[in-house]
Amino acid sequence: MQRLPFQGVRVLDSTYVFALPYAGGLLADLGAEVIKIEGPGRIDVTRGGAWSGAFPENTPGEDWWNRSSTYNLLNRGKKSLTLDLSNPKARALFADLVKVSDVVMENYTPRVMKGWGLDYPNLRKLRPDIIMVSNTGYGHGNGPYSNYPAQATTQEATHGHCAVTGYIGGPPSKAGQSFVDFLASWTALFGIAAALRLRQRTGQGQWIDIGMYQCGVMFLSEFLMDYIANGRVAPRIGNRHPFRAPQGVYPARGEDQWVVLSVGSDEQWRALCDLMGKPHLAHDPRFADSLSRLKNHDALDEIIRAWTSQHDRYELMYRLQEVGIPAGPVFNARDMHIDPHYRAREFLEYVEYPPERGMGRRPLIGRPWKASATPARIQGPAPRLGEHNEAILVGLLGLTPEDLQELEKAGIISQVPRESRLEPRVSPEEMVRRGILAEWDPQYRQRLGI
Amino acid sequence: MPNGLLEGVTVLDLSQGIAGPFCARLLGDYGAEVLKVEPPTGDYLRRVGPFFHDDPHPEKSLFFLVLNLNKRGITLNLETELGRRLFLQLVERADVVVESFPPGYLARLGLDYPRLARHNPRLVMTSLTPFGQTGPYSPFAGEEIVSYAMSGIMAISGTTDREPLKHGGNQAQYDAGLLSAAATAIALFSAGATGQGEHLDVSITEVVASTLVGNQPYYAFMGGIQGRRQPKGTLLANPMPCKDGWVIVQPGGGATWEDIADFLGRPDLKDPKFSTNEGRRVHGEELDAILLDAIKERGRWELFREAANRRILFGIVQDAKDLAECPQLASRGFYREVEHPVIGRVKVPAVLCNFSLTPYTLRSPAPLLGQHNAQVYCQELGYSREDLVRMRQLGVI
Repeated sequence: MQRLPFQGVRVLDSTYVFALPYAGGLLADLGAEVIKIEGPGRIDVTRGGAWSGAFPENTPGEDWWNRSSTYNLLNRGKKSLTLDLSNPKARALFADLVKVSDVVMENYTPRVMKGWGLDYPNLRKLRPDIIMVSNTGYGHGNGPYSNYPAQATTQEATHGHCAVTGYIGGPPSKAGQSFVDFLASWTALFGIAAALRLRQRTGQGQWIDIGMYQCGVMFLSEFLMDYIANGRVAPRIGNRHPFRAPQGVYPARGEDQWVVLSVGSDEQWRALCDLMGKPHLAHDPRFADSLSRLKNHDALDEIIRAWTSQHDRYELMYRLQEVGIPAGPVFNARDMHIDPHYRAREFLEYVEYPPERGMGRRPLIGRPWKASATPARIQGPAPRLGEHNEAILVGLLGLTPEDLQELEKAGIISQVPRESRLEPRVSPEEMVRRGILAEWDPQYRQRLGI
Repeated sequence: MPNGLLEGVTVLDLSQGIAGPFCARLLGDYGAEVLKVEPPTGDYLRRVGPFFHDDPHPEKSLFFLVLNLNKRGITLNLETELGRRLFLQLVERADVVVESFPPGYLARLGLDYPRLARHNPRLVMTSLTPFGQTGPYSPFAGEEIVSYAMSGIMAISGTTDREPLKHGGNQAQYDAGLLSAAATAIALFSAGATGQGEHLDVSITEVVASTLVGNQPYYAFMGGIQGRRQPKGTLLANPMPCKDGWVIVQPGGGATWEDIADFLGRPDLKDPKFSTNEGRRVHGEELDAILLDAIKERGRWELFREAANRRILFGIVQDAKDLAECPQLASRGFYREVEHPVIGRVKVPAVLCNFSLTPYTLRSPAPLLGQHNAQVYCQELGYSREDLVRMRQLGVI
């Protein structure tokens, strides 16, 4: 077994929802010991709230808080400790953990950690070379929005994503699901790895202050430059491209089946005309050159649509790619699980849950990159709430079993959440009727071999 | 005081376009020495707008400028014997190579990772491609929209009465660039401990697919397939028009549903039928009508500030103008000014995040094509001025 990059690195992960919990999950894939800390009265909303996703066979079960799909994907391979940080005793334990850890991650609004005396200047006193990561909506500091509450849904509007996303002539549109969270995830991974490297060289730690907003704005750099230098605010162009034409998403044979293609040269355009069985179109003055194609895009779309709708989306992909035209089907969640390319690259990794958890074996998103010398892997299931309370508090900090009982009695630690945050469930058929799901596939287990 | 977060790291950036150059720029932003290695014809992004004052001059692409800050630049033709030899000399002194050639291209030139690693075992090579180095689609042509479609994110973007919708701009490319910077930093940390570098294979499509943490396990846990939004009854948590723009309000966070009703001045929102997520979905169209009516006479900035006072999750749709003038970004030092030899002085989006010990530094604008040829080939690799001229004449640089 080769050495994983973060072997021997201990991470305190006092984070919620998507962004930093996912970064923590990936650190665990890469060998770090990641301790997820939640309050018994403030469990992660991905365990049962609006972002919890699905439960195995749509059945929350008695310990629903350990069984949601989103929680289990993001928090794989971690240890779970409950600590009610609003209690000073819990904060003392947290401080003791900081002394034996390398990285602390948190995503409270700026005033919270400061109020608890757990901000960077204080953590540094406990462990001078600690690396601390804070992720907030708008970033720490004295800016007007620094203490504004935020989540991806509202941030995609503020960071500029919605303004450039939407059908031509239509309203600004939200991303399909949270997007900006993951920019903060990757930023945190970058920061932690680079800061650990610097610590390896100099022995110094530091504080990494991430504002999701800022990460999101960075991804619109070309739009910002066009305004700064040219005073232009670009319109929404739907699925089109500023200079490649035709480009778009077109219906393929079957219900809700789509293919995208993008033509960037006269050569590709001629090849497309040939594929469509309309070689004469290559000389049609409306479409013969690139500027004309941009101008007459609507007419072009109609012609392409008439052709694509007669063919299977995979067939279209292969035929278009064969002549060098960038193209591919619009994949949904099922496609991602069964497509031969995703399978060949083992993008999804199977996680086996212990029998007593009644969750079986499930494929989960691995990592978006492959490394030749350090073969990371999902190290194990996400933990049950408080599963490692004893291992950490007794095993690592040296508390006695009696101390543990005291803490439990005082409600500082627990394996059961203090209050239920479970969203009510309806049947899969009803989810489809209400538009929560586009489709339900009762055969999914056979397809996945689970 | 360390000389930057990534002090002591040398990067050769062979990549073109958006994803790879953004990765290399981030490494440079935080202290790595980045040398951009372009073919004599230049990175194709030099020909992509926006251009400064809409002048499509080869040195005035603002897109190229912003993705190649903090780099020096040389030209080098890898398809010549001498070009490859020069490249290997550079590799011996480098810690990282970032590249975005089609899979197999570097191997055909004899410059694939195993061969580069023979010259420099500590080398980290980061390869960014649309579909990755392996698998049946590896040789396929990519484009932003194709990565979007095949990542799965387009299937859940847009509305059910219309076609799937791509996100605006080049989100997949930036996303892959940022992730690649993270993967590279991880490999550098690992190499610092083991002395061994490695090859990183980043698929741009998979980077976007990796963000589908709600969508993917919905299928794996119960066979659920998510789709696009309903065209009606879903205005909550979607942009909706107010007097002077668009706003978005979301339940959750520190505020209750009652708080939202009070904030909007609409007691009818307190009807029990709206009190749960489920109820708000079932009675969505009715809810849409109340929300639209409640905000139609109100201004977005007033709403934004007032919602924050009440701890309500709230956003306003900001465009490039709003963002260029944003006081929050100013307070974070997000924009910096750069002096470019052809463009002049211009403001650029610069700072990804803040590091307390090793802050962001803007050390140079994007390089002009071949700007540092003499510096690198003569001063650093020891070739003479006469050799430099010959290399130019032979199409090597």
